[in-house]
Amino acid sequence: MKALLVGLMILGLNPLASAMNHGSMMMDEKGMIMNANPDTLPKDCIKISQNLDITIHAGQKNALKFTGKMFAFDQQEWNVKPCAKINITFINDDQIRHQLMIHGLPGYLYPEGMFHLELNGEGQLQASLIMPSLKKTYLVHCELPQHMEKGMKAQLKVDGGDGDLPSIPGLTKPVRADSYFVDWTPLSLSILVLSALLGCAIPFFILLNANRIKDFLIKLFNKIYSKNL
Amino acid sequence: MSYKRAILLILLLSALVTLAVFTVPGLQEKAGVVPPQTIYTSAKDNNGIVKPCSNEHPDWRPAQVIEGVSIAAAPACEPDNPYDIVTSVKGTNNVSMATLMQTNFAQDALIMTDDLDHDGDPDVIHIKLEVVELNGATPDGDFLINTFDIAPGIQPGLWVYAPKARGMALKNFNSVVANPMLRAPSPVIRVEQGDKVYITLENTHYLPHTIHLHGVDHPWVNSKGEDNDGMEEHAVFPGKSHTYEIQPRHAGTMLYHCHVQTAQHFMMGLAGMFIVEENQPNNWLQTFNIGAGQVRHPSDAVKKSYNQEYDLHYQSVDKKLAKIIQDANDPRLIAERMSRDYNMTESFENYFMLNGHSFPYTLRDAMIIASDNEEIKLHIANLQRSAVAIHIHGHKATITALDGVEQPAAMQITRDVFDIAPAQRTDLNLQTKNDGLHSYGPGLWMFHDHVATGTTTDGMEPGGNMAILAYSYLLDEQGMPKMHDELFDQVFNKDYYAKKIAVWGEGAFAPLLGDAGLLAPNYLRILLFGLATGLLIGLLVFIRLAYKRKQKQ
Repeated sequence: MKALLVGLMILGLNPLASAMNHGSMMMDEKGMIMNANPDTLPKDCIKISQNLDITIHAGQKNALKFTGKMFAFDQQEWNVKPCAKINITFINDDQIRHQLMIHGLPGYLYPEGMFHLELNGEGQLQASLIMPSLKKTYLVHCELPQHMEKGMKAQLKVDGGDGDLPSIPGLTKPVRADSYFVDWTPLSLSILVLSALLGCAIPFFILLNANRIKDFLIKLFNKIYSKNL
Repeated sequence: MSYKRAILLILLLSALVTLAVFTVPGLQEKAGVVPPQTIYTSAKDNNGIVKPCSNEHPDWRPAQVIEGVSIAAAPACEPDNPYDIVTSVKGTNNVSMATLMQTNFAQDALIMTDDLDHDGDPDVIHIKLEVVELNGATPDGDFLINTFDIAPGIQPGLWVYAPKARGMALKNFNSVVANPMLRAPSPVIRVEQGDKVYITLENTHYLPHTIHLHGVDHPWVNSKGEDNDGMEEHAVFPGKSHTYEIQPRHAGTMLYHCHVQTAQHFMMGLAGMFIVEENQPNNWLQTFNIGAGQVRHPSDAVKKSYNQEYDLHYQSVDKKLAKIIQDANDPRLIAERMSRDYNMTESFENYFMLNGHSFPYTLRDAMIIASDNEEIKLHIANLQRSAVAIHIHGHKATITALDGVEQPAAMQITRDVFDIAPAQRTDLNLQTKNDGLHSYGPGLWMFHDHVATGTTTDGMEPGGNMAILAYSYLLDEQGMPKMHDELFDQVFNKDYYAKKIAVWGEGAFAPLLGDAGLLAPNYLRILLFGLATGLLIGLLVFIRLAYKRKQKQ
């Protein structure tokens, strides 16, 4: 972002005004929109395949349906067609700042490969972007320190995506999972003891019944053998 | 078995036991005539070396005027961003978009309006603070995120208040390093006496926090009749915000800190200096001094009496406490481990920081840079768990205020060790007049906490809150002290603080004071011991079997 702005300043332009002209950045007290793209088709798209309206809520209360998280979006995955135009309504239900960033987009359309919405507090804003045709999974997150780490992470799949991202609440496993104590009860303990005793008894059972087992196995073998004949 | 044979066997067994006892190979053994050779663990052989000064923004150092705000020169390696200073002086609402874009401030981080007393400066101040975790955990791999190194390779988990920010919290896309506004310590906040100040805590963190305005004149409830003292029972929970309101009648150096699970949250870093400046006409204050240290736009009252002004924030960290947030991601686990498993009465302080850094990183942004014949105002706050005894080499400074209260002339003591209890503040007048009392002359004079632990980093010296009072002409063009190259080679190294390098492992005395090597294994001894014990075990098994067989017969 800085590089872009410094570039604009070198051109002697007022960054905000010029940014607005370029449609790449808009900012006020409420928040900001960076790299919105409602009309330019990616190189690999001939036309917009679908016009999709998505509403995304961000806030602490969305984390209630997960365990061990603090912040979350109301949805964790979106599936769209190649070359889809997505019109996002981003709603912040908290009294603090949240972001909605989509990463890995083509840099020639979205500087730094990023689409970025930010709300300074409760409120909403709208912006559109057009996805390329590539079958790919894009990271959607809030980049405030510890917000993605504590649950504000989702994925946007184009054409089914090229896999899943880790640590998405309720969807995918973390790379580095937390460890918890196991709920050992008298029942689980007695099952442990019982299975240990059983394990001990197995060799004795075999030794004591060696002949019977032998006979049984021979009979079984003969049966199969005669049948096959 | 015959009697004779039995005796022989017993003798043989005893001989074997004796041999084994005498040949036990140890982890450590006594050296003979020649002790082991010296091992040279040269700092240059490994990849722990850190550049003393990255010199990222030389253009930020000179004195400059931006949007009519004069900013003093800051010769240090890491000067404060002048655009942060302009924005802190005028408010995010009064600077141009071009200036704001050079900072990480949110557009509503600092709104300054209404000249209530018609003296030329704004008197209604809205400050918004967020809570930021540095060196925190991530479920996405074995690494830390939003990192902030307090010293080479040292990344304790920290919490800080930060001005409400905008955009990326990381320095750039390919990095896990926090952007420069997100750092320890919590920023110094300056307001003017009589200002109507609204401090909004927007809790962006995953645990509840508050702001308690320690020593600052504040009513117990705000205008809505809600908590204004930041007490535990009125915690601001994640995703929520709360506004504290003050109109301080008394000027002085005060504090703000979190009062939820206070012992732990304070030590995690949720504490900062809150300075109320005297009301003066047309007095535009630098509301935030990010990272503390030099105040590049001092208030009018300070400018009248002093040449320079510095904020010194002393802070300590228990590595065990700091690690709790790095070992888990589940906020429930962190809450349990921090509030119930961790026991503050059994804690230690391992890291000691001045303005967020431990030596040698204090040389980058926590030095006092003086010229001859100056009077320098120091605001010292002890935000450690233990008391400090601040000593400035080569100088005796004078106490002007204690806990934000100006001392009467007779109480303005001049001395060279300043004992400051936890949460106390001492304002000093540091004079650089070479008169044999206030100053012994120019130099690169060390200043530090004289409590023995204070100058160490997890026990490694030199470290901790050690810094330098530097006379400006003894600094190089990057603001680093001259004549310290050898020391720099040693301490700007992660392996030094990981305790992998001998303290005197370089130079003429390296063969004498480098690391002693390992003893060569004594193979004869190992062989004898192995054979003896093996034979012993074999014999015993054999005897047992022979005895059993005999009994059966």
